[in-house]
Amino acid sequence: MSDALRSLLAARGAPRFPLLEVRDHVARHGPPDAAVLRALADRLRMPVAALRGAVSYYADLHAERAELCVCRGTSCALAGADGLADGLSRLTACRTVYCVGHCDRSPALLAGERVVLAGAAAGPEEVLREARAGGADPPPPDVRCLAPERIVTRRLGRGGLARLDRARADGAYSALERALAGPPEAVLAAVVASGERGRGGAGFSTGRKWRAAAGAPGPRYVVANGDEGDPGSFVDRVLMEEDPHGIIEGAALCAYAVGAAEGIVFVRSEYPRAIATMERAIREARAAGLLGSSILGSGFTFDLVVFPGMGSYVCGEETALLGAIEGFRAEARPRPPYPVESGLYGRPTVVNNVETLVNVPWIVANGPDAYRALGTEASPGTKALSLNAGFARPGIVEVELGTPLSAVLEEAGGADDLVAVLMGGPMGSVVRPRDWDVPLCHEAMAERGVELGHGGIVALPRDADLRALLLHWLTFMAEESCGRCVPCRIGSRRLLEIARAGGPGARASLDRLLDVVSQGSLCAFGQRIPVPVGELLDLIEERGA
Amino acid sequence: MRPNATIDGCAAVADGRSIIEAARDVGIEIPHLCWHPGLPAEGGCRLCLVEVEGAARPVAACHTPLRAGMVVRTSTRALEELRREILALEQGTHPASAFRPDARGSEYERLLEALAPPPPPAPGPARAALDASHPYLRLDPDLCIMCRRCLRACEEVQGSFVYAVAGRGADVRLVAGPTDRFADGDCVACGACVDVCPTGAISDRDRRNGLPTAATTRTVCGYCGVGCQVDVHVADGRVARVEGAPDAAVNRGHLCQKGRYAHAWQSSPDRLTRPLLREGGAVREVTWDEAIAWAAGRLRELAAAHGPDALGVLTSARSTNEAAYLLQKLFRAVVGTNNVDCCARVCHSSTATALKLATGAAGATACYADIETARAIVVAGANPTEAHPVVGSRIERAVLRGTPLVVIDPRRTALAELAAVHLAVRPGANVALLNALAKLLVESGRVDRAYLAERTEGVGELTALLAALPYEAALRAAGVSDGDARRAADVIGGGPTLFVSGLGLSELTQGVASVLALANLALLTGSIGRPGAGMLPLRGQNNVQGNVDMGAAPDLAPGYQPIASEAVRARLAGVWGAPPPARPGLTLVEMVRAAESGAIRGLWIAGGDPAQYLPEQERVLRALESLDLLVVQEIFMTDTARRAHLVLPAAGPLEQGGTFTNAERRIQLVRPALAPPGEARPDWEIALLVARALGADWSYGGPAEVMDEIARAAPDLFGGVSHARLAGDGLHWPCPTPDHPGTPRLHVGGFARGRGALTAVEYAGDPEHDVPGFPYTLITGRVLEHHNVGTMTRRTPSVHLAPADVLEIHPDDAAREGLRPGDRVVVESRWGRAEVPAHPSPRMAPGILFLSFHFPESHANRVVGPHLDPISKCPSYKVTAVRLARPPA
Repeated sequence: MSDALRSLLAARGAPRFPLLEVRDHVARHGPPDAAVLRALADRLRMPVAALRGAVSYYADLHAERAELCVCRGTSCALAGADGLADGLSRLTACRTVYCVGHCDRSPALLAGERVVLAGAAAGPEEVLREARAGGADPPPPDVRCLAPERIVTRRLGRGGLARLDRARADGAYSALERALAGPPEAVLAAVVASGERGRGGAGFSTGRKWRAAAGAPGPRYVVANGDEGDPGSFVDRVLMEEDPHGIIEGAALCAYAVGAAEGIVFVRSEYPRAIATMERAIREARAAGLLGSSILGSGFTFDLVVFPGMGSYVCGEETALLGAIEGFRAEARPRPPYPVESGLYGRPTVVNNVETLVNVPWIVANGPDAYRALGTEASPGTKALSLNAGFARPGIVEVELGTPLSAVLEEAGGADDLVAVLMGGPMGSVVRPRDWDVPLCHEAMAERGVELGHGGIVALPRDADLRALLLHWLTFMAEESCGRCVPCRIGSRRLLEIARAGGPGARASLDRLLDVVSQGSLCAFGQRIPVPVGELLDLIEERGA
Repeated sequence: MRPNATIDGCAAVADGRSIIEAARDVGIEIPHLCWHPGLPAEGGCRLCLVEVEGAARPVAACHTPLRAGMVVRTSTRALEELRREILALEQGTHPASAFRPDARGSEYERLLEALAPPPPPAPGPARAALDASHPYLRLDPDLCIMCRRCLRACEEVQGSFVYAVAGRGADVRLVAGPTDRFADGDCVACGACVDVCPTGAISDRDRRNGLPTAATTRTVCGYCGVGCQVDVHVADGRVARVEGAPDAAVNRGHLCQKGRYAHAWQSSPDRLTRPLLREGGAVREVTWDEAIAWAAGRLRELAAAHGPDALGVLTSARSTNEAAYLLQKLFRAVVGTNNVDCCARVCHSSTATALKLATGAAGATACYADIETARAIVVAGANPTEAHPVVGSRIERAVLRGTPLVVIDPRRTALAELAAVHLAVRPGANVALLNALAKLLVESGRVDRAYLAERTEGVGELTALLAALPYEAALRAAGVSDGDARRAADVIGGGPTLFVSGLGLSELTQGVASVLALANLALLTGSIGRPGAGMLPLRGQNNVQGNVDMGAAPDLAPGYQPIASEAVRARLAGVWGAPPPARPGLTLVEMVRAAESGAIRGLWIAGGDPAQYLPEQERVLRALESLDLLVVQEIFMTDTARRAHLVLPAAGPLEQGGTFTNAERRIQLVRPALAPPGEARPDWEIALLVARALGADWSYGGPAEVMDEIARAAPDLFGGVSHARLAGDGLHWPCPTPDHPGTPRLHVGGFARGRGALTAVEYAGDPEHDVPGFPYTLITGRVLEHHNVGTMTRRTPSVHLAPADVLEIHPDDAAREGLRPGDRVVVESRWGRAEVPAHPSPRMAPGILFLSFHFPESHANRVVGPHLDPISKCPSYKVTAVRLARPPA
């Protein structure tokens, strides 16, 4: 994506979300051929090559229609998803996706918009029968709290709080209502003082982000990042499905604080129920005057729309995500400029993870001091962790930041039969028992070189096929690399080739190449993935696997 | 700024630019592939990684700004090893035959040589086959390294968006359209991508591979009036390739399809190479001596028999100032007639007349540099994207960087697509629209009162006219909505504005009135004489500006000096040895009509094909055929030349020296890049030979000496111009003294005529409006691939891109007429008919048709009628009532 292309679309009066129209077209007619591309490009006022580039980028826009989308996120992969996918693809049109966010009940798959749990021992015929039988989505995950106060998970696991009346009865929008009576600066100051750090993985100060955007000339945008891409974490899905009003309220508070009139909730397409729930909640909120013009009669105007993702992991990175909304390939852009200076459509944009936003009404309602009383000095507040099916007690656990990992593992039913836990997805860490005493907070983990990521924790049992996991990760990297920079684009494929070939010298070649990719890549995807891969290689070597 | 950072120990200035740029300033070249000066950073190749003290990992020098206090190292062992490994990754994806390290090879091969990466474990597989589907560019996927320089150059330099990246991960590849066939894409073949490609993956098909370039000559492009400087590489006596001069102010290295690639005409086998004399129905080759003696004899005989005013001359807008000057001097001072004109008559004569009336000078008041600094731009009756592509790109870039644009054009042109407001005016109704806009400005007070009071006159008359103007009726006549008009007025009323105009304002019965009405807007907004604003009419041919500057007009001597003035004639007599006649002569169209009536008996036509470009084509042919003498200087046997008694083979552009003057009044030096074929001679020499044969004692050592005389003949405009001063970017006239720097903007301190004149011009419907039985309105014009009557471009591979004239028609109209793409259709007016293929196009408005006139066989100008602007005598090419019919089976 280039500034020139963005300017061209703006000057030509292109639709604001060009790829949504393509998505609708594909849903009805399948992937576009050259003639359809030309016609779509004319209608969308996009250069035809740019549209072709985008369509070829997003799996959802060019994949042939499939009856089933089998999850092969890390948790499902460890639970045998690859074999299941092979079996199913002999029975019906089938594609694989990275993580439908049901890691607590792996393996899982999507039949249209419905989630089907395969059950660890089920054969493909059985799974297909189940998928075609219809029925309700699986029940929500178990939600528990080790923190003295529930902040993130306060409306989870209680049933029905996605509905506006129930949510309001539970206090939703009361922080917004009070905030609108005061100046925006009060909200901004509270969030700055709270010391909240982004929950998406990078841990950047939320308040500093907001302050920077508020200081840049408008119009400004708020984007809620619900593209929970890290296989192994699913708290964002559950938040969007069970507490959409917490997210909407957080986004509205952010918009009020920074002076934005429009916002977008970006939800990955692998979460169809989250998309539907968010859309319904936004409609309800708008109808109740909680979104739209002059919210609650305050004169403050802000509205939200849902932008469904189209099948790309890199979209979780904020500049890539903004590009996707604008109609481009989801490629990370070199920074500066940062999105708070030049984001969506080149305007100042706050991109916050949905969990980050859910914290905000609590901070505004209870004050920054109450927030800072939780967690650590440098990492205040709580964090919701996702525990996968490999634990005795999978589900979501909210903990105070600074809680030792070992306490979480103990709460999850113990980890004696694990060789390691995988934290933070493919850009995270392979955490060995020697590091399980690490406190879960940015400063302590950085010291140990451990990444919390988005808080997904996947159990790695003693009998896990570590070589299969290695190939799984490298395949993921090769398939999801955006292709912009040489080390990641070509290095990811080379890594996979070397790992597949194996043999003497493979380890040394992999190490050298992992270092080149990590040192040389443009964005965190290429820079970070080599780290857990290297840790996994160590583990494999130690175990002689 | 003081140095505040270090790069490899050298003090460097952190001023917000990238490390790679700052390093170049201190003489350190950091290896790179995707980065290219002037293009946005890509950050893809990762070869420019450098170490910054305190940073966790190497950073890319191309997209990391040098900050105060940074300590940068660009060539540690670790970095060099990292670069080698990264380059090895890239190298391993190409087939073994793709590249080899070579210090004299492509940029990529030079880098292989310099960095010496370890050999890849195995060569990459062969990719898709070489794509040679396009006549000018070819794409070799085996050589593509996905650096995306081409993509960025296409967007940033040309303003097209031809390229994109498809796929992801290791499967990414460059695509240039909806299919894998390059020619199916939207490439306009400007060649900007070729210039930046580091591997040769995208290359010119016209490079004559293997032949060493014998000579390279810096000169000026011979197509449109933009005046791009080119470097012409010649090998084996032919043009090997043409490149934009990177340091030229006009085009900064950029060119268009015609200028860069359409040069095969030069070596076309049907070039005229010997004088041809037609006597008694037979044509024979003659020597130059015989040809010149014969021509001089005939001129003398006819002048003696019918008087000198029975003779006339058309100078060539394609040839040099020096040639035009000598030819008009020949007819004025030697033959003794003011029947001197050129094809400017049939294009911008209305513009020149109107600008002279409004400002006192007939040239553009602004210059191209104003495009980048303009507050707002209006493009009226012009489609520079196709007809003046390099200027079109400059305008597009300005718009993409945020300059608001109003486009006034019946067609939805590429610029109209980008415009803040597109006013799709009915052809021929400009005055109604422009007056309505003026009324909105005046009545809302969005005019520059101080400027109007201090610098203009006629405000009262104009205000009175506008007060009485029925606004709604005017907009109805113009076919423009109130909302659009008001949004346009909001843009224009914001302050000084740059008004770019074209033949859509000029080639009308209300041509002069249209340009006057546009000038009113420029004056009301205080735009003329201000930087980033003013009037910038785009001239159609390379030297049409220069021809009129040189006196190729029946009432004007060189430098726009009125022939009727005794003082002017006295000055010219002093320079020429004989004065021109006092009485102004006939215009081009008048001369042709006088030929029909027998008043004109002999015509001399240099480089031009009025048989094809004039309206009422059949009448024109009869007139030409009735002449007692028709002499044509030409490079090819045109329809006009076919009717000549004597055809003199002339040197073409690229083959003769002198000067061209572009649309911004910039006089630039033209140098011959190669010799003309056979016995063809430069135009200026031909005039000289004829004058001598007629007994004149002319003596010039070359075009430079002719220019020295021009400086004496028209000192106010050209007194300071000499070839010696024109090296580099030339001079904008007026340039009255040898130490004068030239004048990029006119009327800065005051108008040439004293005060700028607002003019109360009333709208009058066009005679071709609402003609019963002729429901469509036809516009004629040019397309990107061809130049004017196509004499040159039809003899190049451009014909593969645009093989015929086509009739553009709105898809709904096409459907109603039962026309599918390519169906042949007869376009018929009250004056004549043409048969062409139909091309349904959404850029046409319903009821409006567009027809190009590049191919003689389509006879587009048979359809255009006899109407002229009453003042400028410019024909009305832009409005003709027509109907459509199916061709006879």
